[in-house]
Amino acid sequence: MTKQDFRIVGKSVKRADVIEKVTGEGKYTGDYHWPGLLHGKIKRSEIAHARIKHIDVSKALAYPGVKAVLTHHDVPKVLHYGSPHPRSASCTKDQYILEDKVRFWGEGVAAVAAISEEIADEALDLIEVEYEPLPGVYDVDSAQLPDAPQIHEVGPGGNLVIPPVHVERGDVDAGFAKADLILEGEFEGGRPVPTYMEPNICVADWAGSNKLTFWTSTQTSFMVRGALAEVLGLPLNKVRVLVDHMGGGFGAKQDLFQHEFLCALLAKKCRRAVKMEFTRRETFIAGRSRHPFKLKLKQGFRKDGTLVARDMQIIYESGAYGSHSPGVTTVGTFSATSLFRVENVRVNGRAVYTNTPIAGAYRGYGVVQTYFALDIQMDEAAEKLGIDPAEMRLRNAVREGDIAPSGHPIIGRGLEACISHGIKAFDWAATRDNPDRSDPLNPAIRKGWGVGCEMHGSSAYPGIKEQGNATVKMNEDGSVTLLTGAAGLGTGAHTALAQIVAEELGVTFESVSVVHGDTDVVPWDIGAFASHTTYLVGSAARIAAAKVRARVLARAAEKLQEQVEHLRMVDGIITVDGKPGQSLTVFEAMGPSRGIPAEHLIDTGSYNPTKSYSFAAHFVEVAVDTETGIIECRKVMPVHDVGRVIHPIAAQGQIEGGIQQGIGHTLTEDYIIDRSNGRSLNAGLVDYKMPLSMDMPDIQTIILEAAPDPGGPWGAKGVGEDPIIAIGPAIANAVYDAIGVRFHHYPITPEDVLNGLRRKAAEDKTC
Amino acid sequence: MTKFHLEFTVNGEARSASVDGYRSLLDTLREEMGLTGTKKGCDVGDCGACTVMVNGEPVNACLMLAAEAQGARIVTVEGLQSGPDDLHPLQEAFMEHGASQCGFCTPGILMMAKNLLDQNPLPTDEEIRFGLSGNICRCTGYTKIFEAIRTAGQRMAAARSADAASCGCGCRTEIRVKRREPISAEG
Repeated sequence: MTKQDFRIVGKSVKRADVIEKVTGEGKYTGDYHWPGLLHGKIKRSEIAHARIKHIDVSKALAYPGVKAVLTHHDVPKVLHYGSPHPRSASCTKDQYILEDKVRFWGEGVAAVAAISEEIADEALDLIEVEYEPLPGVYDVDSAQLPDAPQIHEVGPGGNLVIPPVHVERGDVDAGFAKADLILEGEFEGGRPVPTYMEPNICVADWAGSNKLTFWTSTQTSFMVRGALAEVLGLPLNKVRVLVDHMGGGFGAKQDLFQHEFLCALLAKKCRRAVKMEFTRRETFIAGRSRHPFKLKLKQGFRKDGTLVARDMQIIYESGAYGSHSPGVTTVGTFSATSLFRVENVRVNGRAVYTNTPIAGAYRGYGVVQTYFALDIQMDEAAEKLGIDPAEMRLRNAVREGDIAPSGHPIIGRGLEACISHGIKAFDWAATRDNPDRSDPLNPAIRKGWGVGCEMHGSSAYPGIKEQGNATVKMNEDGSVTLLTGAAGLGTGAHTALAQIVAEELGVTFESVSVVHGDTDVVPWDIGAFASHTTYLVGSAARIAAAKVRARVLARAAEKLQEQVEHLRMVDGIITVDGKPGQSLTVFEAMGPSRGIPAEHLIDTGSYNPTKSYSFAAHFVEVAVDTETGIIECRKVMPVHDVGRVIHPIAAQGQIEGGIQQGIGHTLTEDYIIDRSNGRSLNAGLVDYKMPLSMDMPDIQTIILEAAPDPGGPWGAKGVGEDPIIAIGPAIANAVYDAIGVRFHHYPITPEDVLNGLRRKAAEDKTC
Repeated sequence: MTKFHLEFTVNGEARSASVDGYRSLLDTLREEMGLTGTKKGCDVGDCGACTVMVNGEPVNACLMLAAEAQGARIVTVEGLQSGPDDLHPLQEAFMEHGASQCGFCTPGILMMAKNLLDQNPLPTDEEIRFGLSGNICRCTGYTKIFEAIRTAGQRMAAARSADAASCGCGCRTEIRVKRREPISAEG
């Protein structure tokens, strides 16, 4: 099908769920009301690593208005995984709901339910905890020392979350022997947090039966159902998880959080609905961050820029629990086998426990870290070899047939297309050759330009063998309902799914409505993550829609006495090729007649994908103030290959939002932990600095359909995570271009810039 | 604890409630008035998700005690549209431009944008950026929010001039287009 043949796909139809968002009518979890609702709160540890010797809740229990208090004595002692993906590599069972031990500052040690939030809060202060402090480890280096305190009894030991992930292809040593240039570097990165606008919230209600109804802001409602059922000892059909609108997740709302178990248990104990809502501060302390990392990279290049060998070791800091560390470590480490093609590659990744807050899933999932290093070193090699950095990337970009991190051959030449397109659209050569790097308004400013690249999979394969499911129901009037388990994080995925169904079925977009977010009703879903909803569930929805269309056309063919292959359905009207006068509405084809009821039209689609890769090249302009050290990202031109764009505005929105978060982690965002005691130092929106309206650059988004993937609907691939990956190294490279100081870490703070400039001045003097 | 008897106008309607002295305006709107469109993103005045208009001024509802709103005229996102099918131009533009993703910041940003356009009907890009500097959006990168506000401002200005022209006397008196106005007058 060529692009002009699409009626709905590729058009920015009005998102069906957005009217509720702009009118305030959309219900987020906290917007419902429950009669007799109790409020739950968590008592959090004030020490990072300790055994609980004694915990006294008598005063709290006696406090008027308190209905229940739970400690480790009162909860099932079941080891569970924070990252509840069944059948996945992302499983580390290392966590109890509550334990007589704490492993990070801020971990929950008790929970209270009371008639008001204020009373619950006051009751927390009445709980007396006596700790026996244990020696803590607050950074990955000390955690790996032979005599380091062990944070967990489970796992491979040595404070490792999982055994090291090791990938080796070709002959790395022989590759280095052929190299004309060998570069070695060390890289590291801070602890950005997703900072979704809706703090974590859940409500549990057992009233009326031995069945748990659980409203929660989650990306993975079926995983929440599974983990709750397992820990509570219930069959899956006795746990019903509900989520309608949610205020973002960015990956982190894939975990099953401690408060979710506690909420369910408090509600059971009280026989009343209980709500637990994080404060903003708790979203930092008890939420999930990106993994801080340390990385060593050695690469060999030929004179012509060809990469001949790569050796990389990365250590991801997991924090106190495993959460997504197995997945992040696996995906991140494998990602380093690719992006820039290399036959001889050896990469090793580790995830290490420390007594710090938990790192989990966050957009870019381990890849942000590795590509930050690969892309910066590519820039360094280009300079050393006298090759233009964009040209250098073109020469080394992965292409058709190269082995992707998943082990599959790459399809198409998407990365080259993004780089080439950006070189022209950004006017790269002329821009960078411009000797005038000053700013007429501020003589302290130096301007610079940089490029960064990325690729990212549109599924979690092979770590998780995913399955997308969809049910499509068509009513006799031609209206259609799509049932999907995919969560609506805010990306517009439900709209894309409805577009796919409408396109495939041959009905208008407006006639498709989407039902989601109720595990009792919708088909099983693995969750909205890994940039896969459009790719995975979109394909399943298309399969289901095609089955329904076939049945409608078969019935219409009977009625019209025509061959089914001569029929088509457009906007819900069935017509016959070459016979303009002949047509039927869906109602005429499927509706009741002479005592025969309307045809029951429902079908399902299931889809097991492997993996596709999306690509991007980001071109940026920065302005560095050499007096204040402030880096301003002024212009970004993201060029993305998404295979086939379903909803252009939604895709652009993903890209622009990803760039916002990527600028943040590169320049200002770092959730800082005191490395001497594990305490959080900036758990709030004032001290954790995100780019806001005044900080955003001019973004000129370009979307290409360069390398459609046969696994996605009409070639569509993912876009959610991609934009956060390339922007970081692009900025770091542009900063180098501006001031000649190379940074191997993020965030690059004004202090770093000023220190770097001083260091450079001293070096220049000595030269 | 002594309850406080609160009387105020919300979205043009006289409302009353009995609230605790420590209760914030935000919790009162959400819990007592059933107006859950206004969101709680931080509860400490950092994010702007709870922005409402109080006597014509944008306010972080989480930082204002309900008792302080005695007698005040409040407009929340629910009062932005003038009828079930009469959306405010900002709401229309936010939908068209994809300016709302997860939507949690949207009610607060809409109220702040409304205030901006009321004060400054055709703001420059810099003025839009500055006008939203207290509202955090984490999904969109703001680009589409800026576009939507620009579009809404232009449409509202065009509607006003069309309407003024239709007055016929050349007086330039601003006649407000009814369907574009919220319920309460203070705007």
